Amino acid sequence: MFRPSALYLFLSLALLLSSLFSLLQGSGIDFALLYHGQPLPALEQHLLLQLRLPRLLLALCTGMLLGSAGVAIQARFRNPLAEPGLLGIYSGAALAAALALSLGAGMLTVSLAGFAGSLLALLAIRLLLARSHPADGSRLILCGVAITTLLGSLLTLLITTLPDGSLRSITFWLMGSFANAEWTHAQLQLLALPLVWCGLFRQWRLLNALQLGEMTAFHLGFEVHRGAWLVVVLASLAAGVVVSSCGMIGFVGLLAPHLARLLLGSDARRLLLAAPLLGGWLTVSADWLARSLLAPAELPVGVITSLLGAPFFLWLLLRKQESSHA
Amino acid sequence: MLELRQVSLLRQGKTLVQPVSLQADLGQLCAILGPNGAGKSSLLQLMSGYQPASSGSVILDGQDIATQTPAWLACRRAVVEQHPACPEGWCVSELLATAVYLAAPGQGAAAIRQAVALSHCSDLIARRLETLSGGELQRVHLARALCQLLASTQTARYLLLDEATSALDFAMADAMMTQLRRIARELNIGVVAVMHDLNLALRHADQVLLLRDGCGMAFGKTADIMQKQRLEAIYGIRLAELISPDASIRAFVPHPPPEQG
Repeated sequence: MFRPSALYLFLSLALLLSSLFSLLQGSGIDFALLYHGQPLPALEQHLLLQLRLPRLLLALCTGMLLGSAGVAIQARFRNPLAEPGLLGIYSGAALAAALALSLGAGMLTVSLAGFAGSLLALLAIRLLLARSHPADGSRLILCGVAITTLLGSLLTLLITTLPDGSLRSITFWLMGSFANAEWTHAQLQLLALPLVWCGLFRQWRLLNALQLGEMTAFHLGFEVHRGAWLVVVLASLAAGVVVSSCGMIGFVGLLAPHLARLLLGSDARRLLLAAPLLGGWLTVSADWLARSLLAPAELPVGVITSLLGAPFFLWLLLRKQESSHA
Repeated sequence: MLELRQVSLLRQGKTLVQPVSLQADLGQLCAILGPNGAGKSSLLQLMSGYQPASSGSVILDGQDIATQTPAWLACRRAVVEQHPACPEGWCVSELLATAVYLAAPGQGAAAIRQAVALSHCSDLIARRLETLSGGELQRVHLARALCQLLASTQTARYLLLDEATSALDFAMADAMMTQLRRIARELNIGVVAVMHDLNLALRHADQVLLLRDGCGMAFGKTADIMQKQRLEAIYGIRLAELISPDASIRAFVPHPPPEQG
């Protein structure tokens, strides 16, 4: 365990440095000019302000939103393995957003559709799990896999039946990418981030109490149903906004809260401070890797996050099984 | 005062609790006894406000609890649930802190100290929940519920326990009940405990409610209610009543008739 305040400071610094690095690194911009106080040529200015900066902000906000949503979902479902992507929440968002996009909707409508889609997927999970014991994690994961597969194939069906070019590619939706970043995407996320984060942070006591079960949370004096609804809506909003602007970026919502948990324990207040910082750092770094590993070609960023996240998930699963058999 | 007035509970067409009445007083220990499936836990959930009553009303501190908020209830009653939660990675101190989240600032730390002392948990405070034994987990959850009541400034305070001694050995269970009775007297808290152990209730309870099939069969002073014939009827088993030579201790043990042949 670390002193929490020192850790937040360290994470913020790491996030700042990797953001700067990601912004400045790569071909095309001669920073010697900036250093000497001379203005950049128009093309380079455009590159920096219209491509690099929105992309960086998008990656940053995505990670922070997914980190916050991950903390909320894991507390709500009382299950540390509850990853938004594995529960079908991203798939719901992606399907609804792709549907809206195919109907020619604008960015805001697409995001709202994504929000509605993720909310519906969450509700479906909630209904499917209504009768099972809350600590029964395998059922949660199984339901999630089924919903993810169903919605994922509907999405693929939708994209392949539509004429070419009317939707972004399947890879965009399934693996996620920041390559199409525009200022409108970044602006929407910059709006959603404080809303989601502040909304969740105000509920940190409830998020802790919910981990004791709904009954105990009620006995402790919390408005469980109203509060839990708010948490679910905020997490869906985060997932919807992220997925509709950059596709399904897997495992960040699992990795960030868990790394935070390993460092700081399971207090939701600390997690909500650390997980967004870690999530932002993860996505910014993953985006840089995705751009530079095979440069000038580019990988979908979800490939990187899933390559990191899936083995981590398996490790968690095995560790959980070992401890429950012990 | 905590009072049930002809309270019943229906769930999915099944009657879990028939209209039951009960009065639990401050400073007293009231035991709810009955066979498995008699509706004891349902009755406790009605009292805690977790389940809304299908008919009748639950009166706490002069108010019908159906009209009150969870926060209002939390100042006046705390509950130790039947299955104590054990979330991964939590410390005992973090669990205790949840009980004073909604308390006035400044009340919390003192309440926690007092509750830990009262429930003899000071050696567990830094432990992780998943490393505790079943009995230890029940003790820290009792401490958690006590924290909630001690942080409250209300005078009407009730502690509701759902089989809170089920994982304790008989010496520990007896010690816990003795301690609960002391807490009830000294802090003027009403304790309502769902129990399985007849003899534990006989020794420690001031009042007893007997339940069978969701019906309240008898309610009153422990010595009056816990009679051999009545208990035999409720549990459907023959009992022997043992009385110590100085007549200070009574106990019931199963005493089936010898098998034929």
